[in-house]
Amino acid sequence: MSRREGSLEDPQADSSASPLPHLEAKIQQTHSLARLLTKYAEQLLQEYVQHQGDPFGLPGFSPPRLPVADLSDPAPGHAGLPVPERLRLDAAALAALPPLLDVVRRLQGELNPLALRLLGRLEDAARQVRALGAAVEAVLAALGAESRGPRPEPAAAAVAAATASAGVFPAKVLGFRVCGLYLEWVSRTEADLGQLAPGGPA
Amino acid sequence: MQGSTESNSTGFWVYDGLCGIALRQSECPALPLNDSRQQMKNIGKERDTQGERSELDVRKGLFRAKPFVSDSDTGFSNSLALSSSLPNAFCNLIQDQCQAQMTSGSLWPDRPTSSQPLFLTFEPGTPHDLKCVTNNLQVWDCSWRAPSGAGRGASYEVCIENRSRSCYQLEKNSKIPPLLPGDYEITVNPLYEFGSSKSKFILNEKNVSLIPETPEILNLSADFSTSTLHLKWDDKGSVFPHYSNVIWEIKVLRKKNMEIVKLVTYSTTLNGKDTVHHWNWTSDMPLECAIHYVGIRCYIDDPQFSGHKEWSDWSLLKNISLPPDSQTMVFPQDKVILAGSDLTVCCVTQEKVLSAQIGSTHCPLIHLDGENVAIKIRNISASASSGTNVVFSVEDNIFGTVVFAGYPPDIPQKLNCETYDLKEIICTWNPGRPTSLAGPRSTSYTLFESFSGKYVRFNRDEVSANENYQLFFQILSNQEVYNFTLNAQNLLGQTESTLLVNITEKVHPRIPTSLKVKDINSTAVTLSWHLPGNFTKIKLLCQIEINKTNSEHELRNVTMRGVESSNYLTTVDKLNPYTIYTFRIRCSTDPFWKWSKWSNEKQCLTTEAIPSKGPDIWREWSSDGKNLIIYWKPLPINEANGKILSYNVSYSSDEETKSLSEIPDTQHKAELQLDKNDYIISVVAKNSAGSSPPSKIASMEIPNDQFRPGVRYNFSVYGCRNQGYQLLHSIIGYVEELAPAIAPNFTVEDTSADSILVKWEEIPVEELRGFLRGYLFYFEKGERDTSKIMGLESGRFDTKVKNITDISQKTLRIADLQGKTSYHLVLRAYTGGGMGPERSMFVVTKENSEGLIIAILIPVAVAVIIGVVTSILCYRKREWIKETFYPDIPNPENCKALQFQKSVCEGNSALKTLEMNPCTPNNVEVLETRSVAPKIEDTEIISPVAERPEDRSDAEPENHVVVSYCPPVIEEELANPGAECGGGSQVIYIDIQSMYQPQAKPEGELDSDPVGGAGYKPQMHLPITSTVDDLDADDDLDKTAGYRPQANVNTWNLVSPDSPRSTDSNSEIVSFGSPCSINSRQFLIPPKDEDSPKSSGGGWSFTNFFQSKPND
Repeated sequence: MSRREGSLEDPQADSSASPLPHLEAKIQQTHSLARLLTKYAEQLLQEYVQHQGDPFGLPGFSPPRLPVADLSDPAPGHAGLPVPERLRLDAAALAALPPLLDVVRRLQGELNPLALRLLGRLEDAARQVRALGAAVEAVLAALGAESRGPRPEPAAAAVAAATASAGVFPAKVLGFRVCGLYLEWVSRTEADLGQLAPGGPA
Repeated sequence: MQGSTESNSTGFWVYDGLCGIALRQSECPALPLNDSRQQMKNIGKERDTQGERSELDVRKGLFRAKPFVSDSDTGFSNSLALSSSLPNAFCNLIQDQCQAQMTSGSLWPDRPTSSQPLFLTFEPGTPHDLKCVTNNLQVWDCSWRAPSGAGRGASYEVCIENRSRSCYQLEKNSKIPPLLPGDYEITVNPLYEFGSSKSKFILNEKNVSLIPETPEILNLSADFSTSTLHLKWDDKGSVFPHYSNVIWEIKVLRKKNMEIVKLVTYSTTLNGKDTVHHWNWTSDMPLECAIHYVGIRCYIDDPQFSGHKEWSDWSLLKNISLPPDSQTMVFPQDKVILAGSDLTVCCVTQEKVLSAQIGSTHCPLIHLDGENVAIKIRNISASASSGTNVVFSVEDNIFGTVVFAGYPPDIPQKLNCETYDLKEIICTWNPGRPTSLAGPRSTSYTLFESFSGKYVRFNRDEVSANENYQLFFQILSNQEVYNFTLNAQNLLGQTESTLLVNITEKVHPRIPTSLKVKDINSTAVTLSWHLPGNFTKIKLLCQIEINKTNSEHELRNVTMRGVESSNYLTTVDKLNPYTIYTFRIRCSTDPFWKWSKWSNEKQCLTTEAIPSKGPDIWREWSSDGKNLIIYWKPLPINEANGKILSYNVSYSSDEETKSLSEIPDTQHKAELQLDKNDYIISVVAKNSAGSSPPSKIASMEIPNDQFRPGVRYNFSVYGCRNQGYQLLHSIIGYVEELAPAIAPNFTVEDTSADSILVKWEEIPVEELRGFLRGYLFYFEKGERDTSKIMGLESGRFDTKVKNITDISQKTLRIADLQGKTSYHLVLRAYTGGGMGPERSMFVVTKENSEGLIIAILIPVAVAVIIGVVTSILCYRKREWIKETFYPDIPNPENCKALQFQKSVCEGNSALKTLEMNPCTPNNVEVLETRSVAPKIEDTEIISPVAERPEDRSDAEPENHVVVSYCPPVIEEELANPGAECGGGSQVIYIDIQSMYQPQAKPEGELDSDPVGGAGYKPQMHLPITSTVDDLDADDDLDKTAGYRPQANVNTWNLVSPDSPRSTDSNSEIVSFGSPCSINSRQFLIPPKDEDSPKSSGGGWSFTNFFQSKPND
């Protein structure tokens, strides 16, 4: 733990080498991106439920939060972790999201081929979350807290095959779940980066 | 079957809900025969002391047992008692019961105890109750009840006697060949049995039952995706000797409690061979939702068999059930159904389902086996693209499925196939009604060409809403005619549309490109363009649009054969030189189908040509008369044919020719110094292409004093040629026009009652003195000898003028005239020089005889009608007229005078006086009803008050004039009956009170109406200002609604002279009645009261004229 915290403070210690303004700018930029994607994720979730029909989108509709391959909800104790550790978890989740969003995009392409805005948002979301993940990785690298090395390839193909065979309804629920996770993780990333951003509570 | 009672026996037992029967294996093959025999034997040895007879009522499916005493230890047979009714049903019952018990493992206790009753039927005697059944018409299976002493293995001789005798040695039951129709005597003779005797039966086919063998289900399978059951069975038709109709009854049972959900009959024919039949059934509930059973039985309707035909037993049930799976599932999964249909969705689960909903609508649950539930969706609406969600909620989870409700594809509409380039055919269509199905469920289209057998498919993996429905088909060499079938298919159905097309007639060329223009000369250019396509075998028809500035566009068509290079060339001629043209082109093919789009425009300026003509020129002498100035007009662009660079002017006489060259374009005149000789002057315009033809003008003068005004001259100009003279131009004119010298002669051609036709003659040219412009025609009423003849002008109001500007017109019809009237007509001509003299004429129109006749007939007809109406009225009112105007005997009761006298004189002291104040009466008129005609006696009274009318308001009570009288007392005629009260001194007094009181008001009301009963009340029914009077006035209004001569009644004082008010008040004028009522006679007549018998002779009013006769 101390190693991680130390890595966070190292750039400040070496401010004479002036990496600090660059780091702050990077954090600020990534934080802005995360904030933007949070807004986009809210719009995506709203757009998604609109195209699934009732009871999706109805108040009180909450399918069980079943685990999704390679991705889970933010842990309850996430906020209590050190910031670099939180960012590592964020980066891992962000890395798992694009293939899942691609799967949802493919399923929705069959289900709502004319919902071009939804399909476009899903496509954009996969690209944007990939960019955000890379940015978070860069921040981690700048902080000296490297992420935990190469991750195994996400089992997106297995997810797609499983959902396709299970039927349309599970596919809708999966999409709902993935869009919700996308919103939660980019929102969490925004909050975590906010801890590092100038003027933040950190 | 009839049988004689000889010794026979049969055995059957029931044991405490368990059952046993000795059956032949062929009858109940499922029964463990050996076991039953053994058990029955065991039981039989111990039971026979019970001493009661057991009876079987097979029809009701009940077993009733009674104690009986057996007369034999071993006297039961293992042969079933062949009741004549239902042996098979009995067998089934036993079988079902026994099987159920065997399944439970409680069958066949080792031995019954004494507390467990055991019953055995046992009937002593001869073989009896012969019964025959058949299941294939080839063998009759006959059995009978054995004699009581018969043991196992007993043999019988069975003989059938008809024309011949056939005997068989058989055991307990017999299989005999089928007998032909008719009665047969059957003899059953027990062999080797002591105490038994033979029995005789009469057997007929009609007594034989045809009970088919129980069918057997070969296979039962299910298609879960379509919720369809497939049943397969064998009809075993090979055992039947001839064709027969078979009715199969199939039942489908659902759930563990076996609810019947389908019972259907299915007919086939037995054809002598074993045939496997199939039957499919689609369940309204997914087959995964509950277990389904299927059973089958049959009925053979053989027309040649005259016996009883009965249903076979039901086959063994077969079932379909979902393999046990612990996972919760919802069925059907992702079902595509027709919109508007019904659907059952179920949830197979181990958890308790709390609710179910389709979309946002909750549905009632239908409970199935276990925790499984279903919901019924009726008339489902078409789904959105993503389908309709059906969700089941359990405590901590949801399960769902998606239903896609849509429509089968519509027939493709407006299928059209054409080609742009004869290389590829493009077929387009309109899909029609949306199917509400998208993605993999959307409609797939296949375009099939029957001659070549080729086809192309339409894939819509991801489509936009605006994408056209179109397919491309490669054109095949050496094939011009294509027979296309467009097939549309989705999961709910398929449709198709066909089109036969000769593709060479459906060419819609693409837009021509690379349009270029090249000059040929000043009036022709060459157009070239590129038109992609393989048109070598057809002709192209192209249209060139030529636009010229400030001019309408021109279209020219050109036909050409298609070329392989696709580059085309044509010449456009008949253009104007030095003109800007804009060209564009479009093409079609021959025969025409569609034009291509227009190509881009191309602009071009044609080259110059020599001016087409010389400029227009004229001349004038300079003011000093020494120089001749030549002017010319610049050539218009269409004649200049280019830019005019300069002009050349030359003049020539007989003696010489001179010229002025290169006059610049900006100058349009030249001044020449000429003598008085005749000259010919010519002007030429020049552009870059050359010079125009010369314009020439000659100079010659004619003296002016040779011409006179008002004379027509004819000028002709001749050109001098070598061959002679040639007329160049001729004109007619006047030096000065004058007014016509004479008026045109005119005559009246025709005259009628309302029109005149006038005709006139032309004025000779020499008298016309100018060009005739028209005629003026005046006309008005007038006599020949009146002063109006003179000075007829259009300004006068009664003169009408017609201006005739058509000088070829020589007649005029004047219409809308009056008959038998003299008209004055005037005609005059006018020229450019003025108005000519006038010529007049008088004409009298003819008489209008029709109007005269109408003028006579109408008054006569009116007079006749009035006479007739009057006569009818007089006839209808003859009684009233008679009584009113000349009664035979006057009715004394109608005498008002007498009534007045009577009421006054008989003691009503309140009515003795009439007080007048301030209106001074001067006439008294008494109206009596003794005579038919009201007798009016006006009396002139000079009142002292009347002489001082201005003092009325100040009158003292002692000044009142009180007149008391009993009529008739005054019979003096008034001198002025119409004078008003304020202006004259006459008043008419009438005995109103006496004649009114008994008629208009009941006597009972008099006490309550102090005013009403006090003296004269001429306006009883008018509004009165006092409170008391208001009450009375309402009553009076109801009863005496009638004449009301004064409008402003509020100003009247209606208090009687002797009323308290009139006597006590000093300020009020004491008077009675209206001041104007003195001249009214009508209102003084008592109102017609139905209660009064005296009203009939009370007077006369005009309204009476329209009333019915009194007697009516």
